[in-house]
Amino acid sequence: MRLKRSAVALATASMLVLAACGGDGDGDDKKSSDNPSVDTENLGNTGSGTDPTREGPATIEGAKEGGTVTVLSSPGLTTPIDPSDLYYTDTNAILTSLVTRQLTQYAYDQESGQMILVPDLATDLGTPNDDFTEWKFTLRDGIKWETGAPVTADEVAFGIIRSMDGKTFPNGPGLYYSNPYFLGGEDYKGPYTAPDAEQQAVTVDGNTITVKMAKPFPDFPFYASFPAIGPIPTDPAVSDPAKYAQHPLSTGPYKIEQYTIGKTLTLVRNDQWDPNTDPARTAYPDKYVFKVGLQSEQIDQILLADSGEAKTTLAYDDVLAQNYRKANETGRLVTGGQPCTYFYALDQRKVPDKSIAEALTWALPYNDQIVATGLIPDVNAVATQNLMPPGVPGREPYDPVEGHGPFQTDPEKAKQILADAGNEGYEIKFLYSTDSDVSVAGKDVLVKGLEAAGFKATPVATTLADSVSDRDDVNGDINMRSYGWCSDWPSGATWVPPIFQSTDLEEVGFGTNESAFNNPEIDQKIEDVSALPVDEQPAAWNDLEKEIMTTYLPVVPRYYGGVVQMHGSAIEGVVIDNTLGMPSFRDIWVNAG
Amino acid sequence: MTLDRGEMIEQESVLGHDPSLEDQPEAAKEIAGKSPTQIALSRLRKDKVATLCIAVIVLLVLVAVLAPVITRIFGVYWNVSDPKAPNTTDVLAFDGYPKVGPPFNSFTWDHPLGVAPRLGYDNLAYLVYGLRTSLIVCVAATVISTIIGVVLGLMAGFSRGWVDRVISFITDLLLAFPFLLAMLALSPIITSRFSTDQDKLRIATITSLITILIIFGWMGLARLIRGQVLSLREREFILAAEVIGVPTRQILFKELLPNLIAPIVISISLGLPGFVAAEAGLSFLGLGISGYPSLGKMVSDAAPYYADYGLYLWLPVGAIALLTLSLNLLGDSVRDAFDPRTRR
Amino acid sequence: MLGYIVRRLMSAFLVVVLTSMFVFLLFFKGPSNPAEPLCNLNGKCTPEKLAILTEQLGYNDSVVHQYGIYVGGFFHDRTISFGPKYHCDAPCLGISFRTRNEVTSELVEKFPATLSIAVGGASIYLTLGVLLGTLAARRRGTLLDRSLVTFSVTVSAVPYYVIALMVWIYVSLQWKLIEDTSYHPITSDPLHWATGLALPWAVIGLTSSTAYARYSRGQMIETLGEDYVRTAVAKGVSERGVVIRHALRAAIVPIITIFGLDFAFLLTGTIFTEVIFQIDGVGKWAIQALRSPVDFPVVSATVLFGAVIIVLANLIVDLLYAVIDPRVRLA
Repeated sequence: MRLKRSAVALATASMLVLAACGGDGDGDDKKSSDNPSVDTENLGNTGSGTDPTREGPATIEGAKEGGTVTVLSSPGLTTPIDPSDLYYTDTNAILTSLVTRQLTQYAYDQESGQMILVPDLATDLGTPNDDFTEWKFTLRDGIKWETGAPVTADEVAFGIIRSMDGKTFPNGPGLYYSNPYFLGGEDYKGPYTAPDAEQQAVTVDGNTITVKMAKPFPDFPFYASFPAIGPIPTDPAVSDPAKYAQHPLSTGPYKIEQYTIGKTLTLVRNDQWDPNTDPARTAYPDKYVFKVGLQSEQIDQILLADSGEAKTTLAYDDVLAQNYRKANETGRLVTGGQPCTYFYALDQRKVPDKSIAEALTWALPYNDQIVATGLIPDVNAVATQNLMPPGVPGREPYDPVEGHGPFQTDPEKAKQILADAGNEGYEIKFLYSTDSDVSVAGKDVLVKGLEAAGFKATPVATTLADSVSDRDDVNGDINMRSYGWCSDWPSGATWVPPIFQSTDLEEVGFGTNESAFNNPEIDQKIEDVSALPVDEQPAAWNDLEKEIMTTYLPVVPRYYGGVVQMHGSAIEGVVIDNTLGMPSFRDIWVNAG
Repeated sequence: MTLDRGEMIEQESVLGHDPSLEDQPEAAKEIAGKSPTQIALSRLRKDKVATLCIAVIVLLVLVAVLAPVITRIFGVYWNVSDPKAPNTTDVLAFDGYPKVGPPFNSFTWDHPLGVAPRLGYDNLAYLVYGLRTSLIVCVAATVISTIIGVVLGLMAGFSRGWVDRVISFITDLLLAFPFLLAMLALSPIITSRFSTDQDKLRIATITSLITILIIFGWMGLARLIRGQVLSLREREFILAAEVIGVPTRQILFKELLPNLIAPIVISISLGLPGFVAAEAGLSFLGLGISGYPSLGKMVSDAAPYYADYGLYLWLPVGAIALLTLSLNLLGDSVRDAFDPRTRR
Repeated sequence: MLGYIVRRLMSAFLVVVLTSMFVFLLFFKGPSNPAEPLCNLNGKCTPEKLAILTEQLGYNDSVVHQYGIYVGGFFHDRTISFGPKYHCDAPCLGISFRTRNEVTSELVEKFPATLSIAVGGASIYLTLGVLLGTLAARRRGTLLDRSLVTFSVTVSAVPYYVIALMVWIYVSLQWKLIEDTSYHPITSDPLHWATGLALPWAVIGLTSSTAYARYSRGQMIETLGEDYVRTAVAKGVSERGVVIRHALRAAIVPIITIFGLDFAFLLTGTIFTEVIFQIDGVGKWAIQALRSPVDFPVVSATVLFGAVIIVLANLIVDLLYAVIDPRVRLA
């Protein structure tokens, strides 16, 4: 649900992007070659494996201790870092890998190149009851705060309870998981908003924490890897929300030395952390310095130059398209996936039949739009087939529209489909933001593509400030909505129900079903799959998605998210955490030479 | 919060011409029987710099007026959504660099000045249409803000009472109000108003841009005129006219205005380049308004490509520099021509 | 005179109040929900989140009520909640949506950079401009004078930001003559402070000095022609003496007047300079806050700050003008 792309796109749209680079104008002819050479096979492996028995300490063969790692980003670190309020890709990756510990965590698996779920504070991945309405976790011994005080089960329980305070933590994931799933979560308003109310969800017995659910929550161990499901000091003076957000206490290998939101974050070693208790974190570097707010072009040029401090620097922003070729030649570029799919949702209340979506599939100028919006086709905008990106368990590739290959544009075919269905000149109305350069560029290309394919294109102007509410206005006079969906963990349950389950449009609006798809038969099937035994669900979700897409085609997929990031020559072990599209900070070390 | 530079131009005209300019032209009139305007015109005709500037400006105006013809001759388009424009990936490689023309390929008549990276528009077409925007905006804003400035300045200077106070207050208010903010706040209002009609939206956008420039552009001249009137109205010929009961309107427009021709003409000639710079500066900052070709936006689009694709950056920079330079030099010549103290 | 000052003060105050009201109205009566920018700032904006923030920020209350609370913050501490409850010390200008810090303390933090740019740039252009202008006036009609005038006309004719951008691209990025352009507090490292700002100073100084050279040249020529100066020359005072003792002194007054206004505009935020050279001052801060999603508390604070400075400068200049020029009758 977290959309990193929106921030990145904004960054591209924002200021003049400029930089420090000598024009080594050796007029390279290779720039006119047309195909990026990137291994797209591994993109989008979003991680679905689990290893409940993994134990610490984690080590990397040949890795050396020491060094300071500098991490750069243009738009990053502007969102809250209070664990309960944290629900964003960059802060999540940084905090969970380096600073905070939670019940579970991800580890990079060298063999499969995937992220797998392993225990963290808990001794295993939890024990559910039969219908997944109750989860028990046993806390490890020897976990300490950066202050040296031991982490208690009560503090973990308090953290979990705190995540239900949606008014105090409106940015956090609690609103979407803690409140709906936890027992009494819909009524309990949290320890700050309702200090006198009793919560029913979390109980502590010695070292064991039990979380009771209002409805089955088989994916809870994945949710338990979020910072929100970790310990928070119970002393109100320490964990006061306004203050704690400046300096959350560390339980991981590094603690916060200094933090200025939107500017810098310095992490130094936390000597209270015991590697023997940690199955995934390695912590080779002595120090991490995050610097954000630089311009994207500047970051690229620093890393391309690779001199001095830049050698031990990495960036978690995508390399700009115009620097991609140069960056790729350095061999210091890593690519990876993001569990995101970008698609156009056709309003099912308005489009006459499936032919519109089929024609649209042929008509979309996939590559033109990607290039015009500053992305690189097949690098950070990966060709789609299914709605679910690669890496979701059970996913089998299929073609939603027969004969249509990924990124294939054929206006004549689209025209033919429209003509056959008697829908020539069908008017597609869609939003764009006049104050976003990227949005305007994408709109221009789309208009041209639609008109060439025999549609009538009507772009409807809005502004960035209004774009979300205009898109989510169920009575808005548009029939195509651009949407990007990123799952929080690899499971078909995070794809099919949010995108296709019907919602009460009058009461709650689209929710995340932007095509207003409403089919009682499918709703029933969604219920049925959710009730299946856990091991049968993955294949069933895939089949259901295929059925919906080939029968109704309510959404037209455009591309999967991808990331392409550069690092300095002395940084080793950079791999992409495909669950977030961020570098896996657990595995980084400095090679001093 | 104001554009760093625009104010300078206004103040410059305030200072350069404040002290009673009109003393000597009257004397000159007696001897040669020529009005100050006639003198100025004849001086301008002899001024080589002015002649060159006028030639350049005429050329640029011609290019802007003939933009549709030029783009048709070359078969190029500033708007990539034009059905006849090439597809983005027909002219751009996967990383956004042009596949045809500069910087990495040889010259082609299909795109004489190259193609914009990432966005894929034709540089020549965008440039000539951007020039058109600049000229439309600066002429409209200058003409209207001059009229407003002169009228309000005259009223304020002559009435002295509450009218003066109100106008001066509005002047102060607008001087203190950040016009970037006004620009920004306006954009969503316009956008929501004309959201579905692209052509109307484009017109409304430019109109609102001009309106904002006018609202924040008349104060300099109004202050100048007011100051002039304040000192002129103490002079004998005005006092005399008042005593013998000439109606106020007639005093204002028949007696005072002719004495103010010089500062007005100067203000116009310096206002034009000021508005060109302001429009381009706003779109350079990327504030609020988009959807029409603008030289300032082209500068900010092109800035990241300075190393690999210098031509792309230098085109709009050169166009803005040439336009503002020739307008400013002409303005300077006009000022000199009207200045009785200039020896030639 | 006193009555005039009082009236000007009152109108200045009114200008500031009206400006802040306008800003408030623009955002609260505009087409967007003012909570939406905040909602968009920290991750994805969902309807639930939007509803919570709208309520917490009090955006469901009437504008008048909200404005009252906002103004109240100038005089007493406030507690502002969006998510956690933030304490905001008086004079409180709100809590930044983006950084969640007190806007007042951020303003205090950003202002030194802008002040440094303004002071450095302005002192260069003032001295350089007056010096060159005087020189040109004394050598009127010579090659020096003419080339000076031509150069100054050319430089000041091209928009400032175009020059600044090109200087930054070529001097700093391409030729790497001065690579580091950034602000470092003078208190911690005066040398770094000066080197970091050298390029912006040079650009502001050079481009604006041309205009001052022209002002002072014009003024000097005019005063050199005045009777009392001619008398001094006739009495046998040396040329240098005349220029310094009489002509310059007379010419500098109106120049200082204009300089006051100019300097005030610089103080409100050297937007183009800060954006192009990437210096964290008030101007860049304001522009960042203006970009979507709008950081409303910062926007209104920068507007208010700018309005106060400009109004004050106008006031001072007007009063100064009235004192200097007896021909202006104050009604």
